[in-house]
Amino acid sequence: MAAEQRVRIEDLRKAFGGNEVLKGIALDLADGEVHALLGANGAGKSTLLGCLSGATRPDGGVIHISDHQYRGFTPQEAFDAGIAIIYQHFQLIGPLTIADNIFLGSELRTAFGTIDKKRQDKEAGEVLRRLGVELDPAARVETLSVGHQQMVEIARSIRRKPQVLILDEPTAALGVHEVDALLKLVRHLAHTENLAVVYVTHLLAEVLEVADSATILRDGRVLWTRPRADFALDQLVDGISPAAGQGPAARINTETFGPPVLNASGFNTGRSGPVNLEVRAGEVVGIFGLMGSGRTDLLETLAGVRRGSGSPVQIDDTPAEYNSPRKAGRSGLALVPADRKTQALFGDMAAIDNLLMPHYAKLSRPWRRRSQETAAFERTAHEVSLTPRNASLSADQFSGGNAQKLSVGRWASGLSTVRCLLLDEPTQGVDVGARHELYTLVRTFAHDHDAGVVFASSDPEEVLALADRVIVLVEGRVVRSCSVVELDEFTLTALAQPQTTKKAV
Amino acid sequence: MTDTTVLKPPPKLRADANSGWLRWAVDWIMPLIVVVMMVYFTMTTNNFLTAANLSAILTQNASTFVVAAVAGLLLMAGYADLSVGSMLALSGVAAGLTFNAAGVWAGIAVGLGSGLLVGAINGGLIGFLGLSPIVVTLGGLAGERALALYLSPDQVYGFPPAVSQFANASFGGVSLIGWLAIIICAGALFVTAALPLGRQVQAIGVNSRAAFLVGLRVKRTVFLLYAAVGLAVGVAALMQIARLDSAPSGTLGVGFEVTVLTAILLGGIPFTGGRGSLWRVLVGVWLLAVLRNGLTLLNYGPEIAGMVTGAVLVFAAGLQAFTELVRRRS
Repeated sequence: MAAEQRVRIEDLRKAFGGNEVLKGIALDLADGEVHALLGANGAGKSTLLGCLSGATRPDGGVIHISDHQYRGFTPQEAFDAGIAIIYQHFQLIGPLTIADNIFLGSELRTAFGTIDKKRQDKEAGEVLRRLGVELDPAARVETLSVGHQQMVEIARSIRRKPQVLILDEPTAALGVHEVDALLKLVRHLAHTENLAVVYVTHLLAEVLEVADSATILRDGRVLWTRPRADFALDQLVDGISPAAGQGPAARINTETFGPPVLNASGFNTGRSGPVNLEVRAGEVVGIFGLMGSGRTDLLETLAGVRRGSGSPVQIDDTPAEYNSPRKAGRSGLALVPADRKTQALFGDMAAIDNLLMPHYAKLSRPWRRRSQETAAFERTAHEVSLTPRNASLSADQFSGGNAQKLSVGRWASGLSTVRCLLLDEPTQGVDVGARHELYTLVRTFAHDHDAGVVFASSDPEEVLALADRVIVLVEGRVVRSCSVVELDEFTLTALAQPQTTKKAV
Repeated sequence: MTDTTVLKPPPKLRADANSGWLRWAVDWIMPLIVVVMMVYFTMTTNNFLTAANLSAILTQNASTFVVAAVAGLLLMAGYADLSVGSMLALSGVAAGLTFNAAGVWAGIAVGLGSGLLVGAINGGLIGFLGLSPIVVTLGGLAGERALALYLSPDQVYGFPPAVSQFANASFGGVSLIGWLAIIICAGALFVTAALPLGRQVQAIGVNSRAAFLVGLRVKRTVFLLYAAVGLAVGVAALMQIARLDSAPSGTLGVGFEVTVLTAILLGGIPFTGGRGSLWRVLVGVWLLAVLRNGLTLLNYGPEIAGMVTGAVLVFAAGLQAFTELVRRRS
């Protein structure tokens, strides 16, 4: 195998508003090689991919592809340069056939200028066969399994003869057999078609199985790049665990929790369970799990967004029956969803509306009083240290951290009567400074209101910094439940790997 | 609190200062146009700015005011009702037939009740079953007109004298129908400003998923809004057939939905909801009303008024795009 350097990245840099995310990345990709790209949350993986796909413009550095040099791309330029990226969410048009999707935008024409279906079907069939998939090119894409849709997506990229194929968390949505097929295909593409493949994942078993070399990013830099012979599971776990340091945020009241506020035993959701969960007054429980571990599902079911089964949840020793977020709220449960923009905030509306929305009914007896609302806003904004403390500024004008304070402050403040607060990825897209403010905010709320907190996170550092007790969730099942002091980054990262990993090693 | 002094002003605030006059213009352009129009018609006609004419404008457009006030709130939540014209015909014909068969009070009850019932059906299908608002109310637009014609192929007339007595009664120079519209509009403004409902409806329009997760009763609110629109249409139907002293099943309420939607869109509420305000919608109704009245006084026929309404609708779209542009820039 001629390991010719097809792609070379030198000193790539990117900062967002003074926050350096890429601090000089150097990376070589060789033909015929599967190169795994790993890193903890916030290590810079997605920004690096963004720079390669054209979604983000780097601040500095050079990308060499074949004989060309680039200082950044638009998405079209990246495509023309030969970079193909397969995202977790496929860019396929469901009602169209496989062949139509593969040729979308570059349709084959007959002499009359109409689409040459026959030739498209034939060529699509050939591409698919080359990938080792037997699919009818005339089948509609929406009728295919997720695994097959991914094959179509790959076939579409391959037909355009890219220089590099980048797969972003490709197995996140696949079943076990589909994963095997995909890994086989990835190896085939690199070794037989002589393509440079970048494989981005957090599942270490896949790296061990498929990668010819691996690069680990940490904190915006390349920690190391090694050929397959020079690493094993331990080095990978060590590499993607964030540097121990920070340590837990100042604990206000370690180990002196009150009576249970939330008690769920044998709790089942659609995809996970049974889960036993007890949260005591003043206690913060962290659910750690990778993507697909069922953490969001669990929180949403607890919050009444979807229906669970098993015995009802007990709140302050009273069984709570609910089937909607509204009724869950009445029982004392509130959810702060992970995706602020689409699930939590009213982007166009003022900060005051965003904070008070769940409480307007309570504040408006018999009708709204502006002075009382303003006072409530001022109090809450002060409590969560909102910046700027501007009641009429619309939510989408706030920075990530302050927007999250609006979303969290609704419930984690004197405004609410929440007994147990549920937070999904509480600091997603929030910079480091605001992150610690949010941790303090959440912990202070638990302490001052004798309330419980359950949060879910895929970031081991966050779990260690915020939680008193940790539950590790793998494929919907609890594999470990213990005090945070028994854990470190390495143990957490290793525990969260799916069972298949442990067998593979 | 002195904390503002240590804060660096966020970029947004500075941009605000630059485009301040633009924002101001966008905010006030509609009322400004109304004033300019009224000045123009005052100068070009003899009898535009008279108490009698202004009162007549209010009376003639009372039904539009009433329905736009409620349908505006519905669109604020992101839901449209295209069926109000046909619904008005159905309610009007049903009320008219009952006037003749069972008397004034029964007729009023049937007029209001039929509107409420149809509105509640719309609300149930759209709010609770999640059917498409456009498709359901488009069905209503076609079906309810046909139902009105089925109930009475010819126009219904010969109402008890109390009906036209009511239509012609006035108080303080303004007709009772005009007063009724004023009271209902004031009520709608009060409800949106003084009760949480206004904010909650806007929240649904901005992000209904977040509204649901935050514990608002999204489905129920949508249901109630459609039912309220139905009830408002019932009131509007009674106003119109009382003024006409008849219920012409074929022409009653034809094009009413266009007028109502035009006024709402002029009020800055986009089809996707979440923005604009109710008092602007009422200004929009007044703008259309003054425009039509002025054109009539200038001896233009109804076909001109129709064309102008269409042009105003396109203008409203342009205004919204421009508002959005200004909003984005700042």
